[in-house]
Amino acid sequence: MTAAVSTALQRTDPTDVPAATPGGRRRRPATTILVTGILAVVAIYFLVPVYWVVVAASKTTDDLFGTNGFWFGNSFALFDNLAAVLTYGNGVFIRWFANSVLYAGVGGLIATYLAAAGGYALAKYQFRGRNLIFGLVLGGVLVPGTATALPLFLLFSQLGLANTYWSVLIPSLVSPFGFFLCRIYADATVDTSLVEAARIDGAGELRIFHTLGLRIMTPALVTVFLFQIVGIWNNYFLPLVMLSDQDLYPITLGLNNWNSQTDRLPEFYELTTGGVLLSVIPLAVAMIVLQRFWRGGLTEGAVKA
Amino acid sequence: MRQVTRRELLGWGLAGGASALLAGCATPGTTSVNAQPVVPAAAGEKVTLTYWAWLKDLQKVADIWNAKNPDVQVQVSWIPGGNDGGYQKMYSALAAGGGPDLAQVEMRTVPEFMLVNGLVDLERYGVSEHADKFDETLWSQVSFAGGVYGIPQDSGPVGMYYRPDLYEQVGADVPTTWTEWAEVAPAFREIDAYIDSFPLDDTSVFTAHAMQAGATWLRSAEDGWVIDMAGEATLDVARFFDQVIDDGLVTTAANPYTPGWYAAAAHDQIASLVSASWGDALLQSVSGAEGKWRVAPAPRWDHGFGSSFIGGSTSAVLANSRHPKEAMEFAVWMNTDPEGIDAMIKYSGIGWSPARDYIGAAREEPSEFFGGQRYNTEVFQPATQDQNPDWQWWPITQQTFNILGDGFRRKATGGTLVDAVVAAEDRTIEVFRQKGLTIRRAER
Amino acid sequence: MTAKKASTAVGRAPWILVGPFLLLFLLTFVLPIIVAIGQSFTTVTRAGLFGEQGVTTGFAWFENYRIALEDGNFVASIWRMLLFGVVQVPVMIVAATVLALLLESASARWPGFFRATYFLPYGIPGVIATILWSFLYVPGLSPIIDLTETLFGFTPDFLGAGTVLWSIANIVTWTYAGYNMLIIVAQLKAIPPEMYEAARVDGAGPWRTAWSIQLPLIRPALVLTTVFSIIGTLQLFAEPQLLMSVSPAIDSQYTPNLSAYTTAFAYNDYNVAAAQSVLIALVAFALSFLFLRLTNRSSR
Repeated sequence: MTAAVSTALQRTDPTDVPAATPGGRRRRPATTILVTGILAVVAIYFLVPVYWVVVAASKTTDDLFGTNGFWFGNSFALFDNLAAVLTYGNGVFIRWFANSVLYAGVGGLIATYLAAAGGYALAKYQFRGRNLIFGLVLGGVLVPGTATALPLFLLFSQLGLANTYWSVLIPSLVSPFGFFLCRIYADATVDTSLVEAARIDGAGELRIFHTLGLRIMTPALVTVFLFQIVGIWNNYFLPLVMLSDQDLYPITLGLNNWNSQTDRLPEFYELTTGGVLLSVIPLAVAMIVLQRFWRGGLTEGAVKA
Repeated sequence: MRQVTRRELLGWGLAGGASALLAGCATPGTTSVNAQPVVPAAAGEKVTLTYWAWLKDLQKVADIWNAKNPDVQVQVSWIPGGNDGGYQKMYSALAAGGGPDLAQVEMRTVPEFMLVNGLVDLERYGVSEHADKFDETLWSQVSFAGGVYGIPQDSGPVGMYYRPDLYEQVGADVPTTWTEWAEVAPAFREIDAYIDSFPLDDTSVFTAHAMQAGATWLRSAEDGWVIDMAGEATLDVARFFDQVIDDGLVTTAANPYTPGWYAAAAHDQIASLVSASWGDALLQSVSGAEGKWRVAPAPRWDHGFGSSFIGGSTSAVLANSRHPKEAMEFAVWMNTDPEGIDAMIKYSGIGWSPARDYIGAAREEPSEFFGGQRYNTEVFQPATQDQNPDWQWWPITQQTFNILGDGFRRKATGGTLVDAVVAAEDRTIEVFRQKGLTIRRAER
Repeated sequence: MTAKKASTAVGRAPWILVGPFLLLFLLTFVLPIIVAIGQSFTTVTRAGLFGEQGVTTGFAWFENYRIALEDGNFVASIWRMLLFGVVQVPVMIVAATVLALLLESASARWPGFFRATYFLPYGIPGVIATILWSFLYVPGLSPIIDLTETLFGFTPDFLGAGTVLWSIANIVTWTYAGYNMLIIVAQLKAIPPEMYEAARVDGAGPWRTAWSIQLPLIRPALVLTTVFSIIGTLQLFAEPQLLMSVSPAIDSQYTPNLSAYTTAFAYNDYNVAAAQSVLIALVAFALSFLFLRLTNRSSR
């Protein structure tokens, strides 16, 4: 499942309503041990590959093949490997990382803003074509992102945009799902009487949106922003199709480039494992920190819709 | 006024969309660079050529040239190997109107690039004066319809690697014909070994056998393509290997140079290997193989030639190059100048050099790995002189290979190679016609 | 006068707000789809050996669709993904639901830690996840294979013709199970406490509560995650493309998307590739609607 999916997948809404627990207050020790035990075993499944790459990144290629994969080898080459990752090809790894940050950061911000404006407009104004737009965008949510990538490439080639930063950035600016989400949320939370009151106070329409709308919609916007960032960061198919210049690669494409050299040139194993480790760490930290923000009270919105 | 703004906005969107739509509907690769005027040589200005290749450390070879030619600098970018993603990159770059000046393109893929107008006809830049520096068979494989579309870069003449100790153990002589080979094969099953393996999903080996047997699957004639895949020479080879596989004389489980094959070879379970000259470097990855292997000429069919080629690539000048003349000159230097060849062997470990008079200094020496044998001059150099001169690649080689490979995989569940070859011929004709190309079956 | 001015502003405002999004949406969604449909009805014919005697572009009717549907490998790839989806999607959704229920069950210790752990792989791009798992699949490198060899004396083949599809399923499940879990957890947290109180008054145990209160109430989340998983399944690309180099069982048309990519960039047949893309989108649409209808009907 490519990242395009996750872009489309942005319909969620963990609320941080204090946990209402079904089991009530009776916590039996036996059950606790059993349930926690199951959860721990599952946690091992999720962590094993990450653990493995930490171990593997500390090994030389010889040790990688020669020693047990689940424990450290005879050598401890972690820092040599990481240094090699950062310096290989004039620091191209850092460039890939920066590209990913650029695509995801800029793309996520603008996409969120545009989705918010569009969703707000559809929720708070009556105008002709409103339903047509909503239906069209809803259809866009269901279209597999990869189905549009090839024709988009042909289109961008004709416009001279293929193999530029724009070719990845422009499609990242659109989040039909974010639009959908913002519309529902604005519908449910932005009070029409507040808008009217602001109008009577003489505030312009855009000003109302920027001061009132955006502020009220903030929880939903955080969710849209995070999902869009992850979606762009994980994207592979679109940059693969669009980019041929290595300097424009995001980190996914760059690491794949190294990985595909390993069968001819075994020394690339060290670069690949080191690079994977370096790219996983910030993401892992981000996920653990950000999962608290993965909320937005969107359930209320969804329920009312 | 304000109303107009809204309409304007819509109007821009519609107009922009419609024009982009029309432009987007032109299928890429439908205009030919070779119908446009020749690009003049750069006069006095400094030129930087880009070169996409999957050979390792090719920049070190280019640096030798760069040191001597300050006005023509070559910059190499590593890309994934051909069908592992390299070609896709090139095609998409070409479709987008860009791409490097030079790219590594396999012999068999040259016609595919021609089909999308991806290559520069070097004849227009005077390549013919260099023709006599190259192996004739390989030169003919890059020449089509009066043009030359790539500079041969390396190739792989076929010979037979074998284990003298295992042959001695079963009391057999090294076979010189495929008939003898089949007679010797059962003896190795006695000692839990195989005489060779037969890859069902990599059809390039079967293709080489057919090439050696004298088949020419496709050739370009005045009136279009002529296909003869299911001709007698090829069917002979298919029948032969159908029988050999049915008798269990070869393994189809481990393709040469895969981890499973390396393991079997390390355990003395592989007695010989009919493969290309570039296999020499790969054999060194078999653990404990030092000194155990020797090289002999490939067994012969009772028709055809002494050897064939597996693999081989070219340095091709891509259509959007702004300096085709300089790119061609660099490619000719790299692939024929002894300095270039030696550097490519040393740094990039290329296959057999396509140069006519020079195989590379390192390759004239006796080899320690092969027990002191001068196998290159003894076996492979003569093999390049005993090749099928009529063989040509065609515009959908990879698709034909995939079709054939799909058919071959059915061998595991009761199909035959013969059926697969016959079906692949039909299917290839269909695909040609879908593209509008003229093709007819050879009279037979 | 003022009222009129205000109403013009109100009439214009939504277009200004929605305009930028709409333009980009048209450019990156609608236009490509129209282009794809246009391309899929176009055919390029070449005269001569390589088209050197002229290239003509014409209207093809349904010829490209016929070629795509007659291509056994492409059709096989769709069936393969349906098989994959029928197994992987339910397994993942059930696993995500069970994990969510357990995490929210009050019987679990450290739910925050576990939730973060399960969610972590979602932040790892599919490409990198595949590189990671491929190291755990490849014989000679995989500690898992070493482990089963020493413990049970058998050598699992993760990359064989019969198994590699499920090895891919494992990667996908690993990446997205935690994410789906989080959606379900969110919906669980939205259940009003009074409902649990009512259930307790009725004397319902944890099983009853899960079955008759929690599951019906998280139904929207389940439908949602399932629909997106179905769409995702048909888009499978990075995982098989990367594993191809270590598994001979994966051919260049293993999944529908890989097929379209190969047709476009290896066979250079952009028109047939466009037809394939349109077919993929149609199948995804049809399946999503089918599933939504089924769930709607059963809920009545």
